[in-house]
Amino acid sequence: MEYLLSTLTFTGIALIGVLGTYMVTGLTGLFSFGQAAFLAIGAYVSAVLFKNLGLPLPLAALAAVLVGLAAGLLVGLPTVRLRRDYISLVTFGFGEAIIAVLNNTTNITGGAMGLSGVPQHTSFPLVFISVVVCLAVVVSYKNSKYGRQCLALRNDELAAKSMGINVERLKLITFLIASVMTSFAGVLYVFYTTYVEPGAFGWVVSAEWMIIVFVGGVNSLTGAVVSTVLLTGLPEFLRFASEWRIAIYCVIVLLILNFRPSGMFGQHEISLSFLRRLVRKGAKAP
Amino acid sequence: MTLQLLINGISLGSVYALVAVGFALIFNILKFSNFSHGGLMSVTAYIGYVASIFLVRYIHALPLFVATLLAAALGGGLLALVVERVAFRRLRESGSSVIYYFISSITMGILMENSITIFASSNFYSYPPFFPAWTIRLFGALTIAVPDLLTLCFSASALVILLVVLFRTKIGLAIRCTSFDTGTAKLMGMDPNRVVAAAFFASGVMGGVAGVFLGINYTLYPQLGQLIVKGFVASVIGGLGSISGALIGAVLLGVVEIILIDLVGAGWSPVFIFVIMLIFLLLRPRGISGLIVQEKA
Amino acid sequence: MSLLEVRNISKAFGGVRAVDDVSLELGGHDIVGIIGPNGAGKTTVFNLLTGIYPLDAGRVILDGKELTGLPQHEIARAGIGRTFQNIRLFKGLNVLENVMTAADPYSAYNLLDICCFTPRKRRREREVRELSRGYLKTVGLEGYEKEKPESLPYGLQRKLELARALATNPRVLLLDEPAAGLNPSEVRAFIELVRTIHGRFDLSIIIIEHRLEVVMELSSTIFVLNFGKLLASGTPAEIVCHKAVTEAYLGEEEAAC
Repeated sequence: MEYLLSTLTFTGIALIGVLGTYMVTGLTGLFSFGQAAFLAIGAYVSAVLFKNLGLPLPLAALAAVLVGLAAGLLVGLPTVRLRRDYISLVTFGFGEAIIAVLNNTTNITGGAMGLSGVPQHTSFPLVFISVVVCLAVVVSYKNSKYGRQCLALRNDELAAKSMGINVERLKLITFLIASVMTSFAGVLYVFYTTYVEPGAFGWVVSAEWMIIVFVGGVNSLTGAVVSTVLLTGLPEFLRFASEWRIAIYCVIVLLILNFRPSGMFGQHEISLSFLRRLVRKGAKAP
Repeated sequence: MTLQLLINGISLGSVYALVAVGFALIFNILKFSNFSHGGLMSVTAYIGYVASIFLVRYIHALPLFVATLLAAALGGGLLALVVERVAFRRLRESGSSVIYYFISSITMGILMENSITIFASSNFYSYPPFFPAWTIRLFGALTIAVPDLLTLCFSASALVILLVVLFRTKIGLAIRCTSFDTGTAKLMGMDPNRVVAAAFFASGVMGGVAGVFLGINYTLYPQLGQLIVKGFVASVIGGLGSISGALIGAVLLGVVEIILIDLVGAGWSPVFIFVIMLIFLLLRPRGISGLIVQEKA
Repeated sequence: MSLLEVRNISKAFGGVRAVDDVSLELGGHDIVGIIGPNGAGKTTVFNLLTGIYPLDAGRVILDGKELTGLPQHEIARAGIGRTFQNIRLFKGLNVLENVMTAADPYSAYNLLDICCFTPRKRRREREVRELSRGYLKTVGLEGYEKEKPESLPYGLQRKLELARALATNPRVLLLDEPAAGLNPSEVRAFIELVRTIHGRFDLSIIIIEHRLEVVMELSSTIFVLNFGKLLASGTPAEIVCHKAVTEAYLGEEEAAC
């Protein structure tokens, strides 16, 4: 039971990160290899403020999120003007730069050895509530003028601009919201695992989140959720195959790309009408 | 002193050039950034290692080195063909948007890296010493280590060969045409599958050679190929879509990096490289000699 | 005073002068046409007007407001809407949403409304939805709301582009070869549609077309471009008889002049 709760907690935290990636990559079409860096920022800033400076937890968390927001602004402002490939490059560089900073400020952060001795304050209910709130916000965002305009600019940036859409501003807003959410996930993360080290926040993590979004179906929020649960939760149960976990991930993704490129859910979302139809179909069958 | 740094930088830059050019080849044809190139370089470095371990019983020094290079180059070329078939062919045939190539290349790269971890563990390996630690004195005050010199020479040769192939052979012409306009090239009788395969093979060969040099310079470990990103950076600085630009960008990057490491130490250099790259992109988004493809409405 | 003044605009790509010192003027509630051979620079003029390409020289003034050098989205919001020669609909969205995205920039609610799930958001969304439905109705696409744009037949896709452009609330509507690929009866229907739109909304229209019946019937003034230069301008009757125009483009048929 405890093992199940632990897995669910991890999955929940990962899900918040994936939601951020969904907004940035799925909705807006930006391939940010630096999302995990916000996780790192959230984790380290809150942990250091709490441990070394004795700040109360809520304040440390708030500060961490604000720093994440500031970092998002720092990276986002110049980036949103760049071409697609450059965005990946710059966000990647940002991620690596953050890791380098963390590795080299050994006095504060413990450097490559990591930061340990953080008390555990994250509980499953807290993560659950956080996930629900973030999910609600993302759903609301998607079904709004913001979401539509993001999808439009992802599809055809030139046409979007010609329709009066302020493409750069939208990209930035989406990016900042994702930074805030992911930084918060970082706070949850460090106060759950009680230990972090810079290497855990590399570009591979950001790439994994993108892959999760794609496997679920880049246009489907439901898909992203389901996909996270499957690809994060399941391996925890497949502990014995941990060496192969990543290889299996990759093979799954390649299979999906080759045979079902729209992902598990394609365009579909779970909605009330969908569920109603399901029920009706079930009622009709003899 | 600075001249010494310059030489080291150029040497490092020549390795980056191999990476950058292999990268640019694919970008030119398929218009996407092939992130699996890094994984490929890691694997070929190991292929070279296996070859060298096997052959070290029979030959030494320079012949061993050349044999290792050839093994890695060939292995790289073949592996690249496999990668193209598995990861990209379907996407190309169904006309998928760039996003999918992206994801596919990243996944393929991670898969290749991971297969090293599975089959060879994460331990560090190193090549058998090809040469004793000779250095050559140039102009009195400057030294260049023999490995670095060879890196420079072989990289330069590989690049020259590539340029000759691209600009003097039929298949090279086909590659260049297809990179301009696949549809018309098809109409002119060029089989896109063959052309793409050729481009990937060439890119794989470059990657193989680069892999061996990276392995020599940094020892072998699964994440070796992540230096691909330096190649990407070089391509970007030089201007995406331009092979000559990639070359220049790579050498520049090598020099800048060596100087930075000298000034601030290896730990902080990623931060400075990031800042420099950002500034560069803001000031000159098209790179040194690249083309900004202006979208037509 | 004219609604739109285009003064001496020029654009060169490398050595090619795509648009060379072109000027034109448009009054409120006018319909004008731009014609010319392929490669004459017609679409380039549109791209310059909408800010897709920066101007090498010249100015664009809309209702007294300087549009020169503004970013694309600001030009669009200032009142220049357009359709594209190669249809550029948003494929990830359905028909209704395509139109809504054009009306969205004017929809007044913000992030706070999103995070707090306020009734204001719901209200505004409903308004935009109704407004977009109205535009779809105007062009005759009622009932297609939930369709994917790529599944629509070509003629309907063009109508959707038109509806979307209308939703940007333009003062000047640029139509780039809107009748391309339509059969004769569709062209007739299209001409009627443009008349309807022109009557119903307070806007001016500039049409680039090769289908001369469209331009001749609808325009009060026609501008002829050739090799990037303005060859001639005048009423349809004048243009048909203009010597340089017939030499360059129209061809000489009956001596109607």
